[in-house]
Amino acid sequence: MSRFFRGGDDSSSESSSDEEDLSLSEEENEAPTKAQQAEDESSDDFDDDEEESEEESSDDDESKPKGLSRFLLDQESSESEESDVEATTKVKSAKDKRHDELEATITGIQNGQKINDWHLISNEFDKLNRQVVKLQDGGKAPKEYVKCLAQLEDFMNETLAKQKVTPKKMNATNTRGLNAVRQRIKKISKDYQDQIDAYRKDSDAFMESDEEEIPVPKKVTKVKFEAFTMAEEDEDAAGFETVGKGGKALQFTPESILKHLRTILESRGKKNTDRQEQITIMEKLFKVAETPYQKIRVLMTLVSARFDLGSGGAASMPLEHWKAAEKELGTLLQILEVSKDHIVIEGAEEWEDDEKAPVLEEGQKHIRIPGSIVSYIERLDDELTRSLQAIDPHTSEYIERLTDEGTLYNIIFQGLLYYEALQKGASLEVPQESLNRIIQRRLDHVYYKPAQVVKILEENSWKAVPSTLDSRITPRSQSGEAIQLINTLCSYLFENSEGIIRARAMLCQIYFLALHDEYYQARDMMLTSHLQENIANFDVTSQILYNRTLVQVGLCAFRKGLVYDAQNTLQEICGSGRQKELLAQGVMIQRFHQVTPEQERLEKQRQLPFHMHINLELLECVYLTCSMLLEIPLLAQTGSSPDVKKRVISKTYRRMLEYHERQIFTGPPENTRDHVMQASKALAAGEWKKATHFIHSIKIWDLMPNTESIKTMLAKQIQEEGLRTYLFTYAPFYDTLAVETLSGMFELDSRKVSAVVSKMISHEELAAALDQVTETVIFRKGVELSRLQSLALTLSDKASALIETNERTLEHRTQGSANAFSRKDGRGGGQRGGGRGGGRGGARTGGGPPRQAGGTQFTGGALGAAVRG
Amino acid sequence: MASTTPNGAPSPADYDLLPKLAPHLDRHMIFPLLEFANGQLLDDEENITDEKKAREITQAKFALLKKTDMTDYVANLYCELQGLKEPPIEYAERKQKVFSQLEKFEQQTGKITELLERDDVVNNLRSDKVANLEFLKKDHDVTIDMVNALYDYGNLQYSCGSYGDASELLYRFRVLSTDNDKVSYATWGRLACEILTTNWDMALEELQKVRELIDTKLQANPLAQLQHRTSLIHWALFPLFNTDKAREPVLELFFSAPFINTIQTNCPWILRYLTVAVITNRGRAKNVGIQQKQMKDIVRIVKQEAYEYQDPITKFVHALCIDFDFEEAQNQLVVAEEVLRSDFFLLAHADDFVDSARHLIFESYCKIHARISLKDLSARLGLNADDAEKWIVNLIRDTRLDAKIDYKEGTVVMNHPPSSVYQQVIERTKGGFFRTQVLSAAVAR
Repeated sequence: MSRFFRGGDDSSSESSSDEEDLSLSEEENEAPTKAQQAEDESSDDFDDDEEESEEESSDDDESKPKGLSRFLLDQESSESEESDVEATTKVKSAKDKRHDELEATITGIQNGQKINDWHLISNEFDKLNRQVVKLQDGGKAPKEYVKCLAQLEDFMNETLAKQKVTPKKMNATNTRGLNAVRQRIKKISKDYQDQIDAYRKDSDAFMESDEEEIPVPKKVTKVKFEAFTMAEEDEDAAGFETVGKGGKALQFTPESILKHLRTILESRGKKNTDRQEQITIMEKLFKVAETPYQKIRVLMTLVSARFDLGSGGAASMPLEHWKAAEKELGTLLQILEVSKDHIVIEGAEEWEDDEKAPVLEEGQKHIRIPGSIVSYIERLDDELTRSLQAIDPHTSEYIERLTDEGTLYNIIFQGLLYYEALQKGASLEVPQESLNRIIQRRLDHVYYKPAQVVKILEENSWKAVPSTLDSRITPRSQSGEAIQLINTLCSYLFENSEGIIRARAMLCQIYFLALHDEYYQARDMMLTSHLQENIANFDVTSQILYNRTLVQVGLCAFRKGLVYDAQNTLQEICGSGRQKELLAQGVMIQRFHQVTPEQERLEKQRQLPFHMHINLELLECVYLTCSMLLEIPLLAQTGSSPDVKKRVISKTYRRMLEYHERQIFTGPPENTRDHVMQASKALAAGEWKKATHFIHSIKIWDLMPNTESIKTMLAKQIQEEGLRTYLFTYAPFYDTLAVETLSGMFELDSRKVSAVVSKMISHEELAAALDQVTETVIFRKGVELSRLQSLALTLSDKASALIETNERTLEHRTQGSANAFSRKDGRGGGQRGGGRGGGRGGARTGGGPPRQAGGTQFTGGALGAAVRG
Repeated sequence: MASTTPNGAPSPADYDLLPKLAPHLDRHMIFPLLEFANGQLLDDEENITDEKKAREITQAKFALLKKTDMTDYVANLYCELQGLKEPPIEYAERKQKVFSQLEKFEQQTGKITELLERDDVVNNLRSDKVANLEFLKKDHDVTIDMVNALYDYGNLQYSCGSYGDASELLYRFRVLSTDNDKVSYATWGRLACEILTTNWDMALEELQKVRELIDTKLQANPLAQLQHRTSLIHWALFPLFNTDKAREPVLELFFSAPFINTIQTNCPWILRYLTVAVITNRGRAKNVGIQQKQMKDIVRIVKQEAYEYQDPITKFVHALCIDFDFEEAQNQLVVAEEVLRSDFFLLAHADDFVDSARHLIFESYCKIHARISLKDLSARLGLNADDAEKWIVNLIRDTRLDAKIDYKEGTVVMNHPPSSVYQQVIERTKGGFFRTQVLSAAVAR
């Protein structure tokens, strides 16, 4: 991570990069990069492997007794008294090895200085810093290191000064190295300021020790090489030993808690630490912790350590640890709730002194502890999702795991209360963002659930908190109504957030509304949000949420009986044939191109847990049924006049229908698709009863609420569309048709029949008229065009299309000055020929009227009817 | 205001829009509406509930005008409400105060008013406001405070109910002031004044000005734009239904994209007025095309908003143009007429509307039917057989419908000639030659 940031730094201005680095320094210290880990480890490996070279190092020992004694002392003071002699000797040699390396590195830096190679210096310096961490005990750095640091700083300043003067620029790698070193030094020199000062004051006195002793650089390189080859191996032994040793030795007293925590924190993220062990230590620590401060610190470290267990790879956190983390987070929140003078807040200053706990100072209301509750909660949530993704949804294990969601929701809820309480204290600048994030999490857990479920969830969480507590954003008095809850949460986010969170809140609300049959409200929100225009700019999960919302709105429209709207809304998702992928409910098998493992992994991560899924089969069923109701009359209409341009509402449906028709033998329908297809066939033949029967026998309707009313609605729609289809199909064979007959045939009210017929006549879909006296439909004759006539019409259509295209092409080609001329001309002529007004739109409208008038008779009419119907 | 519609009232009262309109209107404009509501009650005063309602209205009037400076009238209202003979002393005091204020402003603005009446001064004024002010300052010692006093004086005059004076003052203020905010307030104020003095021509002018102001000034603030537009739409109802001249510009305003959006999102009840205006506009509009387009638009919007707003008038449109249910349309028309008669704005247009609506019904009826029995038609139109015949004959003559009355059978026979294929082809290829010519000319250039 640190590397990455450093890489980015050199492009930005110096001052800003400095700031950034300062803010990052904490992270950098805590979480060294993988590469660093590897190198650390490798040096350990080296120590262990090359025991034979002890003689060599023993020479070193003798040659610098000062250093040795110092180490011995340090060892004794820092480590336990129990450490046996043998261990000490061992450690001693290892320590010396490190010293050698340190010096080698320093030489490397000095060499780099000689040739002014900052890249080398930077690398060596990084290594040095890592090495020195191991060597430094009791906060004192080795003297060589301090010396090197001071020298390097001087040299750097010199170089910088030089660089300002000379016009010649250093090459990129050099500059980057220089910048990196500069930032590091700035940071580090702060830590060792007094030592450096001491060195500056009197370098000889400070150093005392011999300088002539320079290890062979060759050896270093060899070590490095070996180390890299070994890096792959997991060599826990050394790490385990030290920690274990420490652990055995540890007396868990309240006073030592903070110190232990620090050691644990420092080892965090390193490969050779045994997290399990640390967790046990911390659990013990928590038992002896007395003050709230200690408890909070221990809990926070403990929870993060547990999360570390889950990190790495796709595997989710072990169940028992999740549960424990959840419990501990709960305890943490409770402690925070009880002891109001302690707060955990982002960006608070780290308390450096391990010896004593911070006390409340004059004028300060709170003891601030750095940390982020919201991040813990988010992580806990994510881990649950991950484990749910991994579990087979059809097992009882899944359901068991799912019950944890309730407790998780409680934690989220308590976290929200905590942040609200923080915000009440005006003196604290709680970032609005954390509150937004936690509200978003809460929303994420309720938006897809039915109101009753949400209600239970809410009741439980209110029960879990003391009755004195109340929430400002979601008051207890309002907790009963799920809609109310969603509304308050969302409107809070609308007001206080922006960008993605806001969009997501909007989508969640729409989803919830659609789920609860508030179609118009949901649709209006969807339209006013303007999300469909910029959803492509959002991240993938938001896009998935958008798709889900869209589908839910479509289903809602269907339940309301708005077939056209439903089909239109669902078209985008279902028409693509990639529903699974778009809704993140399963990975599609890619037929045409290979998916890289990376992509596949990402895809898998995005998958929604099963309980959030929208039933795909139901979705398909709804979509196909809607398509059938729209397509069959259209097919009948276009079928009778072959010259009409083929207009297709749903390609997917058409394809299926064609496939179905190609089959030579059709058995009784088996799945949903078969049912709809056979119903379509029946409907096309005017056998609406049969169609209704097929549709009604689809089992999946039972998943919808109010199955019966939906079936009735469908039956009604089928009747009407059947009538329309019938009229379209058989109109050419009749002179007159009694409304009475039609009404008997389709079991519709005769008033309804005449309304339907009137509508068709009015939209010029049907060349007929009603005779009021005899209550009949009179079909006009002579409207069927002869082959020649229809061809002539088509030709004229094509001709005008050609002109239009030509005009557009010209306009496109001559967008410069020539355009102005042609436009002026066009306008002048526009009065006569409906020519080409200004711009493209003008041209279209100008040329429009005559063609449109012709168009509405055939194509436009059907669409219009669909729209209006 | 909501007190004017008690629950369980007869059906037309259910559709009383006063409570919805009131928040978007000025106090002074609500007053005539309340007066009208009062006037409606007078017809059947023997009813007890109505007396209660009348009292409610008086109360509403009092609450409405309490904040204005029409002290005498308010005092009277107070007396009426409390059953007192003499108004309390505070009203007299207040009256006194208002008078003194008026006088004060009169003095302050005296000079500038006088200046603006002098020809030599007025002739020196140009279109540049800053220069004007500079000129007045230099030559006639006019300060910016004096100009602002004009505004305040106008405000007070308006509050006192002397709208004509207020309008004049605001006009003068607007000529001189460079304060953009105040100028826009003054424009609104003038619009109100012109509406209240029923000076519709000027009102229309001001309406356009306000519209431009909204479009330009508030561009950065969509919410304020929406609110201002809503108000403007409500205010525009006054000229729309009171003068024929206003019809076209106001309808054009309402149908422009931002305003139609405003109506749909913020005040769907305006649809009633819009529908009535469009339907009664038939035959009157010079351009039939526009009228047809507006009719199409209104049908579309009525359908879209059906879930949010419905009243007999929109239901009528829905039944006729969307469902083609003529019986239902007929039923709704009867209710709609009642509603119209109890609506302040639409009262005068009730007959007109019913007539136009009948035309509309008949037109679409004829379009669909080939033969209609006269008897049935007369029943449908609510006329007796002879009148119906006359009506139809007139209709056929006016609209040049291709229809004949078969007297013996008692039917009207419609003739729907199918549009000939030849005609269609001719239509489609009509402009082709010319357009190609233009194209080739453009290419040659």
